[in-house]
Amino acid sequence: MRSLGNDVTTPRFIKFTLNGRAVATHVMPHESLVDVLTERFDLRGARESCGQGLCGCCTVVVNGKAVSGCLSLAWLIDGATITTVEGLATGASLSVVQQAFIDTGAFQCGFCTPGFILMVTQLLETYPDPDDEHIRHYLAGNLCRCSAYPEIVQAVRLAADRRKKEWVAS
Amino acid sequence: MTTLISGTNIGRSIDRLEARDKVTGRVEYVHHLRLPGMLYGKILRANVPHARIKSIDVSAAAAVPGVYRVVTIDDIRTVIPHPYYGPAFHDQPILADGKVRFAGEPVAVVLAENKRVADEALGLISVEYEELPAVYDEVEAMTSPVIVHDELRPASTFPDLAHLKGRRGTNVALDYHLLRGDPSAAFQTADHVFEHTFHTQPVMHTPMEPFVAVADASDGRLTLHTASQGPSFVRIEIARLLGWPENRVRVKVPFLGGGFGAKLYIKLEALVTALSLLVERPVKVACTMEEQFFVVTRHPCTIAIKSGVTRDGRIVARTCNIVWNGGAYADIGPRVTQKAGLTAAGPYDIDNVEINSYAVYTNRPPAGALRGFGAPQTAWAYERHTDMIANALGIDRLAFRHKNLLRDGRPQASGTIMQDTALDTVLDRAAALIDWNQAFDRGTGRIRRGRGIAVSFKGITTPTTSVAIVNLYGDGSCGLYVGTVDMGQGSDTVLAQIAAETLNMDAASIRVIHPDTDVTPYDMGTLGSRSTFHMGTAVRLAAEDANAKIAALARELNVPPNSNIPLQELLRRKYGMQAGNIIGVGSFIPGYEKPDANGQSRKATPFWGVGAAAAEVEVDTETGQYTITKLINIADVGVAINPRMVVAQLSGAAIMQLGFTTTEDMLFHEGQLTNGSLADYKIPTLLDLPQKFINEFIASRQQDGPYGAKGAGEVTTLALSPAIGSALADAIGANLPNLPLTPESVFQALKAIPQNAQPGE
Amino acid sequence: MASFELVEPLSLSEAFQQLDGGDPAIRPIGGGTALMLMMKSQLFRPIRLVSLRKLTPGLSHVSWSDDGAEMRVGAMTTFAELEHSDEIYRRLPVIRQTMKTLANVRVRNVASVGGNLAHGDPHLDLPPVWIALGAHAVIAGPGGQRIVPVEDLYLGYYETIISQNEIITELRVPVRPGWCATYVKVTTRAAHDWPALSLAISAKLTSRHVDELRLVLSAAVDKPVRLTSAEGVLRGSDIDDAVLKQAGDAAIAEIDMESDSRGSADYKRHLLGVHLARAMRALPEGQAA
Repeated sequence: MRSLGNDVTTPRFIKFTLNGRAVATHVMPHESLVDVLTERFDLRGARESCGQGLCGCCTVVVNGKAVSGCLSLAWLIDGATITTVEGLATGASLSVVQQAFIDTGAFQCGFCTPGFILMVTQLLETYPDPDDEHIRHYLAGNLCRCSAYPEIVQAVRLAADRRKKEWVAS
Repeated sequence: MTTLISGTNIGRSIDRLEARDKVTGRVEYVHHLRLPGMLYGKILRANVPHARIKSIDVSAAAAVPGVYRVVTIDDIRTVIPHPYYGPAFHDQPILADGKVRFAGEPVAVVLAENKRVADEALGLISVEYEELPAVYDEVEAMTSPVIVHDELRPASTFPDLAHLKGRRGTNVALDYHLLRGDPSAAFQTADHVFEHTFHTQPVMHTPMEPFVAVADASDGRLTLHTASQGPSFVRIEIARLLGWPENRVRVKVPFLGGGFGAKLYIKLEALVTALSLLVERPVKVACTMEEQFFVVTRHPCTIAIKSGVTRDGRIVARTCNIVWNGGAYADIGPRVTQKAGLTAAGPYDIDNVEINSYAVYTNRPPAGALRGFGAPQTAWAYERHTDMIANALGIDRLAFRHKNLLRDGRPQASGTIMQDTALDTVLDRAAALIDWNQAFDRGTGRIRRGRGIAVSFKGITTPTTSVAIVNLYGDGSCGLYVGTVDMGQGSDTVLAQIAAETLNMDAASIRVIHPDTDVTPYDMGTLGSRSTFHMGTAVRLAAEDANAKIAALARELNVPPNSNIPLQELLRRKYGMQAGNIIGVGSFIPGYEKPDANGQSRKATPFWGVGAAAAEVEVDTETGQYTITKLINIADVGVAINPRMVVAQLSGAAIMQLGFTTTEDMLFHEGQLTNGSLADYKIPTLLDLPQKFINEFIASRQQDGPYGAKGAGEVTTLALSPAIGSALADAIGANLPNLPLTPESVFQALKAIPQNAQPGE
Repeated sequence: MASFELVEPLSLSEAFQQLDGGDPAIRPIGGGTALMLMMKSQLFRPIRLVSLRKLTPGLSHVSWSDDGAEMRVGAMTTFAELEHSDEIYRRLPVIRQTMKTLANVRVRNVASVGGNLAHGDPHLDLPPVWIALGAHAVIAGPGGQRIVPVEDLYLGYYETIISQNEIITELRVPVRPGWCATYVKVTTRAAHDWPALSLAISAKLTSRHVDELRLVLSAAVDKPVRLTSAEGVLRGSDIDDAVLKQAGDAAIAEIDMESDSRGSADYKRHLLGVHLARAMRALPEGQAA
């Protein structure tokens, strides 16, 4: 007979790298990565929306791979390298992808935007020269209800171009 | 702070003022809000569609370690004695009160410091229901013996509903009628009479930020942080529920992660208010994506439309009967019934029109406002009906529309004379972009092609009030105080552009103060494409007021006219240091004349939202699968203050409407929603973009709009569904009267065609 | 969700100990996506999850037998690893073809081959493909290991033959020279969706003659099934309209389908016939092998 409210296990002390800094915290087995990033580290960029890993609003990059933060157990990220949208800008300089999103107006309410930006960052690192078909398939797992999809595709193309020219945001 | 030459803010596609915050993830939503001492509330929802509540036993749940309290309606009553709310009817209890009227209705709330504990404890609440017969279909509900509400309780917001008070034994909450001329006589003289019935399905807005609200009650005051499109309404309604003056209720709204009409009126606000008053701590209730389907939806409806037509294709009479499935609580449904009723005959010049529009209660989740406000559903009916008439008469579908379209100087069904009408223009532009006048090959094999065109319009919610404050600080920098909520449509930016143009400043230098009812003035709500026109006008007036005050200050200081001394210097001269403010106020309520008993009015709307759409589809007749190869959306938005943002609104609304047209459908089985999650309720992804997708606004000017502008948020929701329906019908030679247009419905329509006419075989 | 214990055994025998107890609320966890979905919707309430990611020797590997006739994939290998492997693409291109429409990038980055195999949801894309390819699952338990055709893994909807304290450790996929394979995912609502029905086909063709084939239907049924009647019609025949019609009819006759949110039974039956024919016609033209 399980007793609610009494946790059956002690918290685990995990250490990981978060946006380039060494951090540590205690987590319980049931806590998701989004829970921990939000509640322990006050990071707002990854958001739980659909709760099923379908919308991408909770996207986090773990050891170089984009994952759904709402479906990832924080317990298992001990030793990992985590990047969130908050880790993309360097000082006052936005990343190429972030700036491209602004320059093409690739967002409206902004709720899905960090997720898209992280996915696009991964996309361009894996496929620096994607065609439209490729872009749409790669990003098919990110939902935007404001439907800024046409502008997002433009942002990807713009970012890809600028990356090739090693453009730096001023 | 730069000063610009006048005329450089309007028509400029500047970046959104909050762009950087949105791409860095720092932007503020209520979704993230945590307050010290805050408790989380999780809602227990009814799992039966219609039942009396015999008992609720919360003892086991309350005993769970970590659970602070479990709350039912009896607890709510101790802080809110009359716990019923709603903009049109005070019919919705804060928690179920002796009865549940739809599966998903909130019955109890568990409060805990830990969301997980609250969630787990929900399962321990036991509710005993005595199930009642239920009614789900809107037409059936009109005459069913199953009654959802024992008695109608109209709110004072609709004085014309006062006569309904206390009415019993009916599910019809409101009926709207419009009569112009003598339709029954005109039908007698018509050469042809056509009659068709159409259905639309329940859908949900699914904003990516689900409903969320936080209430913090202490010391006889309340602060509500809520993801709401209508903070002023929330304040007034909550104050009414509490019996408090408005100035003890503070409502704050940061940015919304999407709204689309869902986050209007009261959703979670009354509940969190009561909870916070009960426990004397801040309380947050956040819905999951799944729960959103139980909060508010879009009205499904049944529309019967009948037209009398001369043999050369002039429509001489039209009758529309629309039954709106409002679900278990009225929300703003009655207004949808009226406003969409107004335009239900379509943008056509018809002398004899009768419209009967009924808001009906059923045992389904409540329906309310969703982008388009009923107009997309009626457009589905009248534009498909128009095609079917044209085809029957052998008249080209575009030519038939031109023959009957409303033009400037002619009366709409309400009697309001059309002015600044761009219906012809948008229709012709759509036709041009789809090469309507060129031959079109429908194919003869397995793959068939078709094309369709549609035009539509919408009246704007009116009369409504907007107030704006322009506050110029000691250094001349500007704060713009508005109750308009930026939910992604870019209102902060556009309103700043309007203010900047009037103040002769750079829009990007203006700070837009977000709704905080302690600080920002009244606004009716961010809805119905009203903000650019209504609040934009108020902003312009406020800025003009500020300019007038600056001029007065200059005169007071004996400054010669046209000396161009900056405000900063004027204030320094007046106060001896950097100090003081210039505060300009503007308020605006557009002209309006209340319709008479026959729905007739000389000014039924301050402006019309006008849009046309054209589509080409390719159908695999073996499977019913189809691709939208071309989708064209043309809108009249007056002057586009920020062209890039306007185009994004046009395409964004179009894609959303595309979902409502092709893949979205809330499926019920015996009153239970079976697909209430994004895994099974499919909204558009990047893969759903049509191959060729064009969204344009025409060159236009709204005479009395701020710098010639008017609303843009809904116009491309209107004609899209029928354009696609029309294209499919054109391709397969059969009509699909119901939404959504699924591959299977196309396949079934193909199968129903008599064998010798079957394409593709 | 309620709390539970999460353990990370370092060896298989430790894992078996952790899984022992006969309690269905104790389960192994691979990438975790499928389990997390069930946990969040309260369909599965664990008291202990046994992570396999720290096992040594590890279960993440892709290796080939010397003669290239068999690919061995460790159960913790992720879909992304399969998707991006050029070696796999060269020898079994149907894998990358299937990945293209499988869930999304984030899921593929973490989902494990073993976890996916053990899940038992007939809508999943890969299990019917493994069955069509004739793959075997290596199931390890405290008493040793058994090798089971993937085809025999499933008893019904979310029901497998894997016992409480067993773990899939490896998948073995034959690479048959001269065979080609394809996966057809039929969605009837949105473009990006769970399939209404799915077909995995593996065949050895000589021009238009079917020497051998394996036909698997999934999604519209409780568990992936071989369409043996349809296979019987096609095997030894030339691919032409008449044979395809006959095969389609045989497939429809041997399957019980039910209506659901993805289509009525009638519609899905119709789609089965249409897509079976189209997939077979596409095969000889150098489709994914």
